[in-house]
Amino acid sequence: MNFLLAATEPVVRLTPQARILAAVLAIAFMVLILDLIRRDKLLERYSIVWFLLGIGMLLGAIFPILLEWLAKAMGVRDVTIALFSVTLLILLALSLNFSVIASRQSKQITRLAQQSAIDGVEEESAETEEAEAEVR
Amino acid sequence: MERTLFHGSVAEKRAARLAHRHVESPASPGPACQNRSVKKLVFIPAWNEEQSIEAVIADAREHVPGADVMVVDDGSTDRTPELARRAGALVASLPFNQGVGAAHQTAYIYALRHGYEICGQLDGDGQHPASEVARLIEAVEEGADLAVGSRFADDVNPDIPEYRSTFARRLGQRLFSLLVSTSTRQTFTDTTSGMRALNVRAMEMFAERYSSEFAEVESLQQAVRAGLTVREVPVHMVPREHGHSFITPLTSAFYIFKTLVVLLIGQLRPRQVDQ
Repeated sequence: MNFLLAATEPVVRLTPQARILAAVLAIAFMVLILDLIRRDKLLERYSIVWFLLGIGMLLGAIFPILLEWLAKAMGVRDVTIALFSVTLLILLALSLNFSVIASRQSKQITRLAQQSAIDGVEEESAETEEAEAEVR
Repeated sequence: MERTLFHGSVAEKRAARLAHRHVESPASPGPACQNRSVKKLVFIPAWNEEQSIEAVIADAREHVPGADVMVVDDGSTDRTPELARRAGALVASLPFNQGVGAAHQTAYIYALRHGYEICGQLDGDGQHPASEVARLIEAVEEGADLAVGSRFADDVNPDIPEYRSTFARRLGQRLFSLLVSTSTRQTFTDTTSGMRALNVRAMEMFAERYSSEFAEVESLQQAVRAGLTVREVPVHMVPREHGHSFITPLTSAFYIFKTLVVLLIGQLRPRQVDQ
């Protein structure tokens, strides 16, 4: 029954200062995302995930019980560790996602470059043939 | 998505129109050639090769009569494309440097669209004598899907001096040969050779998917796994006249490591055998 002991020990929670700081940062983060969209620096489809992350941060700061549930579900006593682990996992998934997007786009760029190179040859050979026809 | 780019109706119609025109116009009074019916393309991938490109084009025209010569300019910043055009070659210019694989693939796509049946390729730096490429084309005419010129296989042409290489590069070559030979259960002695000839079947496969960074090595594995007949033909190559290889000891170690990973992943890919 040793494994149950961890849950009965006192939980390490976020301090009120930390919660206020997190809430302020979350709001600033969401304002930044909105501003980036407004100035056409960020496409909507890439912004949604960041916006959701901002909302998550805000909810975590306002309702500490959510983080405590999370920690309990993960089987860790310290709320901050649960928070760090989840954040790290989310960032890992996001950066992998961006690598996939970058690979797809680099393939598309190659295809476009090849298409443009081939178009160039075709145009040129059409022009030479026209020129030859004129000579005749 | 990617496929539609190349099978779009406008491009297709234009390609068909051009191909038709080629057929209609009686063959230009070129030198006598026994194989007039087989449409051949010899292409030269080139990135900043202004010092050697003209000689390479002339060599290709002399030794592969009846073939159209195309230079795939991989984003050169020097006079390579102008000189190539002046030397009478077709020039496909990639708008920016994309790596040798993308350049090869450009030529395959072009060749397929314009009805070429055999495609030969040689490097733009003058290392590959066109007379040897002509032998590779013969190998494809005799039934191989892909013929690869090897510097290290035995039986060589005595007219051209022996190819020299540094110890480190030879070591890397050996390692690649071992890896590719093991993975394909077929002996390959020169896996990084860019001197090749291929038929429509091989071009179609490479037009679909072709590694851009590890083109030469990975394509061998890909071809054998897809059930193509790959033949290695002993050839002579000449040491570079201008410029030097971008491979230095440190980067080559990393390159070998990356290639190892690529080959391992290639081994895990599903076999794409048709029929």
